[in-house]
Amino acid sequence: MNNRFHFGPLGALLQEIPTRTLRWLAPLITLLAAITAGTLFGVQLVVLTLAAAALLLVIWLLWSSVQALAGESELTFEEAFSLGARSAEEEQKRAVLRALKDLEYERSVGKISEDDYHEYAARYRAEAKRLIQSLDENLAEGRKQVEYELSRRLAKNAHKSQKNPSSGPGASSAAKPDASGEAAEAAPNSTATEAEPSAYKTRECPACQVKNELDARFCKACGKGMTEAEESHS
Amino acid sequence: MWQSLPELGTGIVYAILVAAAYTFAVALAAGRGRPRLLQAARLGAYSTCALVLFAVLLLSYAFVSHDFRIRYVAHYSDRRMSTAYLLTSLWGGQDGSLLWWSLLLSGYTTACVAWLKGRYRELQPYVIATLMVIIGFFAVLMLFAANPFETSIAGARPDGEGLNPLLQNYWMIIHPPCLYMGFVGCSVPFSFCVAALVTRRLDNEWVIAVRKWMLFAFLFLSIGNVLGMMWAYEELGWGGYWAWDPVENAACLPWFTAAAYVHSTMIQERRPMLRVWNVFLICLTFFLTIFGTFLTRAGIITSVHSFAQSSIGTYFVYFMGVILGTSLGLMVWRLPELKSKGQIEAAASREAMFVANNWALLGGMTFILVSTMYPKISELWGESATVGPPHFNRWMGPIGLIIFALMGLAPLFGWRKTSGTSIKKAFRAPLIALGATVVLHLAVGGYLGYPFFVPRDAFYPGVVGVLLQKVGSCLPGITIGLCGFNVAVIVQEFVRGVSARRTAAGKRGEQEPTLLALLRLVEKNRRRYGGYIVHLGIVSMFVGFTGSAWNIDRETAMVPGQSYHIGEYDLKYEGSRRCPGNPKCSAAEQADIEKMMIFADLEVTRSGKKIGYVHPAKFIYQSQPDGPTTEVAMMRSLHEDLYTVVGQIDPQSKRATFQFHVNPLVSWIWMGLLILITGTVTSLFPELSLGEVGAWSYVRGAAGVATGTAFAVWIAMAPGMAYTHERPEAAARRPAAASSRSQGQLPTAGLGAAGFVGLALGSVVSFRRRRRVDAKSPRD
Repeated sequence: MNNRFHFGPLGALLQEIPTRTLRWLAPLITLLAAITAGTLFGVQLVVLTLAAAALLLVIWLLWSSVQALAGESELTFEEAFSLGARSAEEEQKRAVLRALKDLEYERSVGKISEDDYHEYAARYRAEAKRLIQSLDENLAEGRKQVEYELSRRLAKNAHKSQKNPSSGPGASSAAKPDASGEAAEAAPNSTATEAEPSAYKTRECPACQVKNELDARFCKACGKGMTEAEESHS
Repeated sequence: MWQSLPELGTGIVYAILVAAAYTFAVALAAGRGRPRLLQAARLGAYSTCALVLFAVLLLSYAFVSHDFRIRYVAHYSDRRMSTAYLLTSLWGGQDGSLLWWSLLLSGYTTACVAWLKGRYRELQPYVIATLMVIIGFFAVLMLFAANPFETSIAGARPDGEGLNPLLQNYWMIIHPPCLYMGFVGCSVPFSFCVAALVTRRLDNEWVIAVRKWMLFAFLFLSIGNVLGMMWAYEELGWGGYWAWDPVENAACLPWFTAAAYVHSTMIQERRPMLRVWNVFLICLTFFLTIFGTFLTRAGIITSVHSFAQSSIGTYFVYFMGVILGTSLGLMVWRLPELKSKGQIEAAASREAMFVANNWALLGGMTFILVSTMYPKISELWGESATVGPPHFNRWMGPIGLIIFALMGLAPLFGWRKTSGTSIKKAFRAPLIALGATVVLHLAVGGYLGYPFFVPRDAFYPGVVGVLLQKVGSCLPGITIGLCGFNVAVIVQEFVRGVSARRTAAGKRGEQEPTLLALLRLVEKNRRRYGGYIVHLGIVSMFVGFTGSAWNIDRETAMVPGQSYHIGEYDLKYEGSRRCPGNPKCSAAEQADIEKMMIFADLEVTRSGKKIGYVHPAKFIYQSQPDGPTTEVAMMRSLHEDLYTVVGQIDPQSKRATFQFHVNPLVSWIWMGLLILITGTVTSLFPELSLGEVGAWSYVRGAAGVATGTAFAVWIAMAPGMAYTHERPEAAARRPAAASSRSQGQLPTAGLGAAGFVGLALGSVVSFRRRRRVDAKSPRD
């Protein structure tokens, strides 16, 4: 349940408005109010209207902050996503790839000799390969964990909806943890089927048939764009 | 409630301090890895910023409603001032400018916290905490030393004292905010630096994070400094734009270190080097922004720009101590992790050139800093020294030339090392350009009025004095030669890039037209080629600075009907008139009740051909009858500016004293700023991919660049608009129409403000867009 607004009827009204809409609506209303005040009563009222809006914003933000501090608000998806911050190795990989790009450019404009280019390019490529391998190894564990957690969560949802078909989507977050994750196996609907812990999903590159991740845009073996390769293949 | 507005304002400043302290504490707690607390800290940061906005709006209301119970309002405004100038008064004095500073810092904090959402999870809490400490410091300053809501002891006055007439200038409306934007912008890189040091995430992560923030601050430091030059040039009436005043110097110090960082960070991004150096540069840049503010406000050094002396300096000294202690302490603590894991492999490499360039920039900064502080330092041993513009001009000429030469040399080298063949190939065209420029200058420079050698007096006795005299004499010629060299380097870089693209396209069996190849080259390497465009702007500025070597300065007294010859101009004094009152005054001048204006009308003839009129003037404001202001009148061109100032005018005989200056190439400085803005905006423009972010992002990005460029164009054109001189036929219809700056300025100022906001919005949008790209390409 979203506890963000507790201001009686107004709170109930605001609760109905999605936050994204509010983000645009509130400044728009302020602007319109300021223009109206300015047209009717002069610049003083414009400043006062804006000040009032700023004060409301302060109150709302502080209230939200205190709620977050007290643990009454949910963690947003983006914040949960950000928990997996980039590792130092990822940053190193970016730096090495940037250096390789520079090297290619300098070769193309004749700022580096061929011998130096080959020496440095080999060195950077070896470093990039080492970093990518290391990152893949580190990610493998996490990926398995995420897949397991995801399937478990989906299974719980499926079980819940089977038990209580009238409950809305928002109810899932408030559901108590169900100890029997295996119940999903018994669920007949499609969600449960999708939720089965499955093997790591891949798709083949239409050009070279190497398995790539589902969201890959380019083939990791031949480098062709997956969509482009599909089109040319067809 | 309205009876207690000052108390409400003071209460809000207390609330800012409390909110900043709360956010600081929550952010530190979030640093221990509790995401929920981080969300609370982020919201706390937003609310602190919104509180600052509320305080600024309250003070604005006090100004527009003429609440003279508030001392600051009574001191810096009066009932006759227009709304635009009433709002300008917000930063016209010490107390309000601190609040304005806090607002800009809040703007940066809001943008930074919004941008940080979903990224740099470990750094984020400490970035927020550091920013809150800085906001908290300004809240403390306002509460205990310079409260803008403090009431007058004598109670409300019937009218205020009004804003200083020198500040009632449209450059003054936008110059301080731009400079503050630059100064305050350095807080964000500093916060990232502290966060990286605390969390030990000292790889490239934080360097990449602060890159654009520093570039943004650098852009506004450049704009702010050049706008300051424009203000001095047009308003102070001494004929120049830079007088090496302590406050001017303080404003340009962080520019040097920011420029050094923008270059040295490129090395760290590619190789694990210069980590200590980059941390040092960021901390130093932030320290210099606070030091510059201290110098302006503490009143320890005499300057035309200084605010009234107050106890505020003590607080700044403590804060500078905290910055120094924190920065040095963290650096020493993390020294083992900061040690370089690489080294410069060859002197003929771009790294080596960047390091040399960094040392030269830091050397220039140190020279200006020590020279500015020398009068104060010399008091330690009982000496009372003064350091004037000749000292700075003699030394900064050669130092600037070294920086300028290194600017041209660096792009000719590749990273790590450059082979002899490549060096020969790279240097050929620029050296030919250098030689050609020097020969051409020697041959025709004197004929055009720009001789290669300009004799200088020996400023110091001894060998150093003679050496500086010789170098100073050759400086104009060498600088113009190096301008040719630098332009050739930049053109060559573009040509080689385009050629490489076309060759690569040819190998793929495709045709790429030159113009398309050029556009794609810049699009794919915005940072590199944006940087070259910035260099082009610097070249243009150097051309303008060099022009001062050929200045002609004269002083004379004339009676009506007399003429005076200067350079290629003949100036005929037709007489003086007092407005309002004289029938020759324009309608706007007749209607002006704020001031009395005394104009001297001069007919200008160039090489025997009449080209128009100039009307230098003295304005006597009702609010400050004892301090008449000097109003400069100019005729501008790319070639030179005719700059006229009137001194005393005898009301009976109409005899007037004049200062005439012919200032060559000054417009090239303003044009250089335009190019610099274009280049920096190009570099700041985020890397986009249509497939990833959609066409709408392109539209928004283009809008951001367009507004930025419009702002730049406006800056370049506005002086021309403000000083439009009538053509002879128009002058015949209204011969005495003077160029009054109060007319037509506010629309242009409004346009500029719109452009300024557009640029800021465009940049914020750019950061948001970048986030979307990152979010959609997590594996990149």
